[in-house]
Amino acid sequence: MTTLWSPFTKFSMLALLVLPLLTGCWDRLEIEDRAVVLGVSIDTVKSDGVEDDAVTHMSGAIPSPKSGYYHVAVQIALPGRIPLGPGEGGGGTTDSSQTVWVLDTFGHSLDDAFMRLQQQTSSRLFFGHLRVIIVSEAVAKKGMDNINDFFRRNSEVRRMAWMMIAKGNAMKLMKAAPKLERIPTLYLMTTLDQGIKMGKFPRDYIGTFWSNSTKKGQEGYLPYVELQKEQNIEIKGLAYFKGAKMVGKTKPIQIGTFMAVKGINPAGYRVFITLDGTSKLIMISTTSRHVSWKSSIKEGHPHFDIDIVLEINIEEKMDQDFDINREEILRQIELKLSEGTTKACKLLLAQTQENSSDIFGFGEYIRAKKSRYWNAHVKTKEQWQEQYKDITFDIKTDVNVRRVGMKAK
Amino acid sequence: MPINSWFTSNNNGTKNSPQPASPSLEKLQDQTISNSLEETLQVIQGVMQNEDDLLVRRFHVFAQHPAVLIYYSSMINQTMVNQDVLKPLMKEMPSEKVGTEQLHDVILNDTLYHSQVNTDDRYTAVIEELLRGNTIVLIDGLTRAIIINTSSIENRSVDQPATEQVIRGPREGFIEMLDKNIALIRYRLLTPELRIKTMEIGRRSKSRVAVCYLEDIANAELVNEVFRRLSVIDIDAVLDSGYLEQLIEDNHHSPFPQVQYTERPDKVAANLLEGRVAILVNGSPLALIVPSVFNQFYQTVEDYTERYLLMSAIRIARLIALVFSLIFPSLYVAIISFNPELIPTEFAVAVAGGRAGVPFPAVVEVLIIEISMEVLREATIRLPQQVGGALSIVGVLVIGQAAVAAGFSSPITVVIIALTTIGSFATPAYNAALALRLLRFPLIIISGIFGLYGVMIGCILIANHMLALKSFGMPYLTPLVPGNFQGMKDLLIRAPLTWMPERPAFLLPKDKKRMSQASIDEIKKTKPDIVGPKANKEDP
Amino acid sequence: MSNMRQITTIQSAAVQVSTIIGVGVLALPLIAVRAADSGAPLVTLLGLMVGYVGLFAITILGMRFPDQSIIQYSEVIIGKWLAWIGNLFAIVFFAVLTSLAAREFGEVVVTSVLKSTPVEVTVIVMLLLASFSCRNNIITFTYLHHFYFPLILFPGLGIVVLSMKNADLINLQPIIGNDPSHMLTGVLTIGALFQGTFIMTLVIPAMRKPQKALLAGFVGLLIAGGLYVAIVVAAVGVFGSEEIKNLLWPTLELAKATTLPANVLERLDAAFLAVWVTAVFTTLLSSYFLTIRMASEMFRLQDHKAISTFLLPFVFILAMLPTNIIQLYAVIEDVGRVGLYITIAYPGLLLIISLVRKKRGNQPSDNVMEPLH
Repeated sequence: MTTLWSPFTKFSMLALLVLPLLTGCWDRLEIEDRAVVLGVSIDTVKSDGVEDDAVTHMSGAIPSPKSGYYHVAVQIALPGRIPLGPGEGGGGTTDSSQTVWVLDTFGHSLDDAFMRLQQQTSSRLFFGHLRVIIVSEAVAKKGMDNINDFFRRNSEVRRMAWMMIAKGNAMKLMKAAPKLERIPTLYLMTTLDQGIKMGKFPRDYIGTFWSNSTKKGQEGYLPYVELQKEQNIEIKGLAYFKGAKMVGKTKPIQIGTFMAVKGINPAGYRVFITLDGTSKLIMISTTSRHVSWKSSIKEGHPHFDIDIVLEINIEEKMDQDFDINREEILRQIELKLSEGTTKACKLLLAQTQENSSDIFGFGEYIRAKKSRYWNAHVKTKEQWQEQYKDITFDIKTDVNVRRVGMKAK
Repeated sequence: MPINSWFTSNNNGTKNSPQPASPSLEKLQDQTISNSLEETLQVIQGVMQNEDDLLVRRFHVFAQHPAVLIYYSSMINQTMVNQDVLKPLMKEMPSEKVGTEQLHDVILNDTLYHSQVNTDDRYTAVIEELLRGNTIVLIDGLTRAIIINTSSIENRSVDQPATEQVIRGPREGFIEMLDKNIALIRYRLLTPELRIKTMEIGRRSKSRVAVCYLEDIANAELVNEVFRRLSVIDIDAVLDSGYLEQLIEDNHHSPFPQVQYTERPDKVAANLLEGRVAILVNGSPLALIVPSVFNQFYQTVEDYTERYLLMSAIRIARLIALVFSLIFPSLYVAIISFNPELIPTEFAVAVAGGRAGVPFPAVVEVLIIEISMEVLREATIRLPQQVGGALSIVGVLVIGQAAVAAGFSSPITVVIIALTTIGSFATPAYNAALALRLLRFPLIIISGIFGLYGVMIGCILIANHMLALKSFGMPYLTPLVPGNFQGMKDLLIRAPLTWMPERPAFLLPKDKKRMSQASIDEIKKTKPDIVGPKANKEDP
Repeated sequence: MSNMRQITTIQSAAVQVSTIIGVGVLALPLIAVRAADSGAPLVTLLGLMVGYVGLFAITILGMRFPDQSIIQYSEVIIGKWLAWIGNLFAIVFFAVLTSLAAREFGEVVVTSVLKSTPVEVTVIVMLLLASFSCRNNIITFTYLHHFYFPLILFPGLGIVVLSMKNADLINLQPIIGNDPSHMLTGVLTIGALFQGTFIMTLVIPAMRKPQKALLAGFVGLLIAGGLYVAIVVAAVGVFGSEEIKNLLWPTLELAKATTLPANVLERLDAAFLAVWVTAVFTTLLSSYFLTIRMASEMFRLQDHKAISTFLLPFVFILAMLPTNIIQLYAVIEDVGRVGLYITIAYPGLLLIISLVRKKRGNQPSDNVMEPLH
């Protein structure tokens, strides 16, 4: 009898022990009960004109910070409005203003703002599908420490989300309703993702930005965007940072220059070349880049030799008067472009040096390759920010024209 | 033909096995037939209680010895009794007068034409033979009854196996009669090393059980163990090989089958050749194969008869279907209710839309649809064939559509469950598929509590169980764990036959070679172009 | 009675690998980077060397006494009472190790996936799973490891390979790191992650060819250590050492930053964590199995099943002792370093004494390999 009952009794005792633990479904939260946050925008707001809701603080007991307010807007997907499948016919709508819901509120900090939003929405805010975070230029200039910390601490936020700096008001982008995608923020995201494939923008997800800005010898940069009149967005340049503060921005073409200095492929920018006077205009596109950096210590300061090799194709010619089917012309184009590129690179480097924002990672290069110099003279991020102003560059550009398109001359 | 040898070996089996007989036979234990015909007849009729189909025909042997012929009219071949038993006994007059003392030998040696004749003097043996459908001849003055095998029980003809259909491969399946089944195996393996040992199991059913193995291949300890496990069985009846399976398996509480069954003689032959042992039971068209490991349950005969490249791909597909049928619904629940961040954003939002009207949590929804699917499946099996086909397709379509329309479940759930159910039918072995199909319910529940973490815990529990499971001492997941390279060639893929010149080593066969190396070398040689274009040399 | 010497060399290597790879991997890059920023892979490699020292001590001992575990031969070498003390420490240590591993994984799960589930539940589930599976004998125990070994190795390698495309070599230079002053502590802490090698003491008595134990241990540790180094290289390469200092579980973050090609799964962290349950399970299984087997051998019990149930509540309570995650990691690092005395110094001492006193057990009949001198 004992041999027959003992496993059974053991099992039932164990079941008694375990079953109470299994009764809860603590974390079950159905997908339709989640408020799927697709995008977040963060703006500054003047302190007056904000009605303090006291959700996370209470005067007297739990003090609130004295800092200013953020104006935070979230874009939440409306379940049921986006049909399953390709969606012809169905009850859904493709008008993006009806597929998402934009809520906004104020808060001393991001968490404060989200807490207030949560107080206003029935479903739990779910950041697992947060794809785009748009920060207004004003916020970025004040510093992004709080923003970086919140999103890094939250385990739901993905490192492959995009963070962008908006010219002007960031919330406008949340409310934008581009026609191409059912979900507006996905359009913003696609703009940048496709930008990477077309060589318009480097891979700079939020995770990359965080990594870059924490590195001792490097600073972060983010895409700088502006809303256009047809509800689409334009990549207006790079917003570059010093620590967590935005210190400047570039022109769109300078993204190409930046990528040229870093040697990031694929290349996709197109530029004008003027040959001997204004009449002979040619447009070329870069197809790929090969870059090598060489560091040395000259007169107590780091010095970089940068060799850039560009492969280009000719895209368009503005004039019928001259042919480009001769070697010399191509040589000339190569020469012109290399001059131009070198100048453009020098300009960009000077600009970032002025703002002591080393978005290229020269400091990291020194740390890695000249670690003795780094340990003796730099060591900290602040030190490098100072020293970055003093480094010198030699830039050499080689251009190779490879193809001229389908036209023979 | 050794079929008649069962008669003797079967008697041996009865003597060797310590089986208590039925109550009425127990009384007659050790009693022998008396030389008075009337007395013997009385005893037998006392036991048989004058059944309607028990026929007692009185006659005279050689027109002088009073005798009686007893048989069950429902179980014998009437012509045989008339022509081969009654006629010679009555008409074949011996040249000289035969006394009772020679009668026994004369009848056996000179008179009866029948090949399966035996004599016995114990009541128990006589009555058992009678019950088997044999004819008993009792002769006055003779203390041994003559037992003649005249049994003829209606049986269906050898047919296509109903549950194990193949496109390429033999079309024969086992039937209920053991002798036919043995014949089906014997003619496939024309080797004197094929051993078919029969024994009787079942106090009341006296079912004949045949243990088949190849003497020079099967591991001797394995064969002994099979006999040992079979010999300890004491049960009133063995109506199907399924009874035996449950009595000889290693772990009785496991959902996983540890013994494979098949109704294909070619499959049995193939397994015997690998060194396994097959067990057949009279009255059951399903042979048992031991030891069985998990990978046998997703292999089919076609894997070996068709080209290896294609069948390897199909086998992998089958395996995927198997895994799908186990974890797909729970994975779905975990992702929908716990980790929606894993699926692409656009899809996630759309899924949320699809689920928006459903009142239940995903786990309940999946459970409801799963259970209704199981009900539907079971109903389709039980329904008469004429209506079954109609119900299954229409029922699934209508119910699925209606459930979605009624906001009872989301369309994706229906898709998931449909995939799962279809996936579970892709497993060739019904019992293995059933095990996994039932195990997915606890998995769904645990995934409803812990999400992906729970699915993983559940899978680990199942895997741990399978790893601890053994079939006749062989680890269930052999040849994966413990690893066996020779066996692994037939695990996920089916390697070409020339890659597997040896029998799977994990069965510890006595004879390892399946193909000779010389033959493999010859097969692998480049073949000359016999009928290539060069043959037409005389063409201009 | 079937032959108990069934474990092959490959299987014992698999036991090594799946025992060592566990929850420690999640925080490993952080520990390594704290020791010597970009020199983290080097620190890991040196930690691996420390692991090898322990492995060699325990394996050579095992090969001198191929029929016995440390409990039995320690009594032969240094006498019953001294051995009793040492073995008690070892048993307690592995019980603590089990509890800490369960707690650490419970914390990971609760922080990143199951946010509202009580940590007690996740811990007890893991412990129950381990104690259930510990009820088998050493052969089935090996089967478990053998089965899970590829399931642990390949996701780990998968994460490494998928994330390597985002890696930047600059992050990995200079190889010795810019500030290698904490290197030694880091090496010891990481060396402590390889304490699973101790399982060899139970595996060798069941090995078919005990003379191959050294090879098995070497290969096993090489694979596990190789994965460790690869993960550190990937994490540092992708994030850079400074960013890793900001991340509690960089390996998990690595999974988060990785997408499968063609967006089948958009992020791998939850999936990776789910798969990693197996890795944690095998580690817990080994350390708990060590605890209960050593305990049952020390107290001369026939059956270790009862102890498995009996010890469970104690291990659970131990696991719940640390109050917060910062304290938990402090405890883990301390316990790990203290453990080095038990897993390296103790067997080392035993080995030296046994060499001096020329004690050795019965050798298997065929082809005896001489231990190193």
